[in-house]
Amino acid sequence: MTLDEQLAALVGKPLGAGGPSVAPDPVNQPMIRHWAAAFEDHNPVYVDPQYAADTRFGGIVAPPLMLQTWAMATPTITGIAERGGSPVERGGAFVLTVLDEAGLVGTLATNSEFEIERYLRLGEIVSAETVLESVSPEKQTRLGPGRFVTWVTNYTVGNGEVVGRQRFRILKFRPRGRRTDE
Amino acid sequence: MSSRHIQTLDWNTISVGDVLPALMIDMSATRIVAGAIASRDFMPVHHDRAYANEQGAPDIFMNILSDTGWCSRFLTDWAGPEAMVKRLAIRLGVPVFPGHVLTYNGSVTDVSRNGDDGLVEVEFSAVNELGEHVGGTATLSLPILSRRAPTV
Repeated sequence: MTLDEQLAALVGKPLGAGGPSVAPDPVNQPMIRHWAAAFEDHNPVYVDPQYAADTRFGGIVAPPLMLQTWAMATPTITGIAERGGSPVERGGAFVLTVLDEAGLVGTLATNSEFEIERYLRLGEIVSAETVLESVSPEKQTRLGPGRFVTWVTNYTVGNGEVVGRQRFRILKFRPRGRRTDE
Repeated sequence: MSSRHIQTLDWNTISVGDVLPALMIDMSATRIVAGAIASRDFMPVHHDRAYANEQGAPDIFMNILSDTGWCSRFLTDWAGPEAMVKRLAIRLGVPVFPGHVLTYNGSVTDVSRNGDDGLVEVEFSAVNELGEHVGGTATLSLPILSRRAPTV
């Protein structure tokens, strides 16, 4: 099978083999506080329960753009560099693994588009289901030859209530200054 | 710490062309690493310079999840704590390396109403020493607290 055929076979399919990825922890105050501190975002609805209770949210809510963060896998730090930065081992048919094996080992995110249905409350458990939308033909970019990979994620809580959607695009590229015959 | 003086903007006071207060952030290595880890992005290019060099980058660079965090803060610093980010779409240009100063600017491009929801469209970008790092659009929902003044 050519690389193009291999990639075409993955388009429209779930990105991971194991079904939706479920957040390792429910929406929680410590992770929210950590996020708010990192971006020095002093919005009181994220951290001040008394303030938040009197707002339209009725209580603490998570920063809306933490949506992607909740469902990220707990990383295995050992070997993360050897895995090209992937937080966990990936299956052989995973699109990024296929591209890595084709020499496109560099990864750079280029686009992120979120629709937020509602803000998340403490205790909610986020599930993310991601489908590969497209893989571009190889193009010349300022970083080297590469392909744009786009996937779409539905974020749900409880019995499948959709709380947000995301379209995410990355460039997988062959880094310059790296031998291509290795 | 009291934060009760912070006001959320009334949708009726917003007009197309309104300019958001600029936000300037000195993107130290600490901020880049803190953002990556708070967003649970452990890709070594965001905290390990030697690894970033191997990938062809001169230094570690900011991750896209941090971009969404900074953009969200830029928007709600202006709109207030009860504003809701309903949509955020960003595209990345040049990278942000430690030592860069990132300056966010934006303005209102549309104002509309959907039932009790007051919607505001914002177009924004952030530039650093290398050029435009991020550009995008967002939809915010604001409370409708008064009657809109009739347009002349």
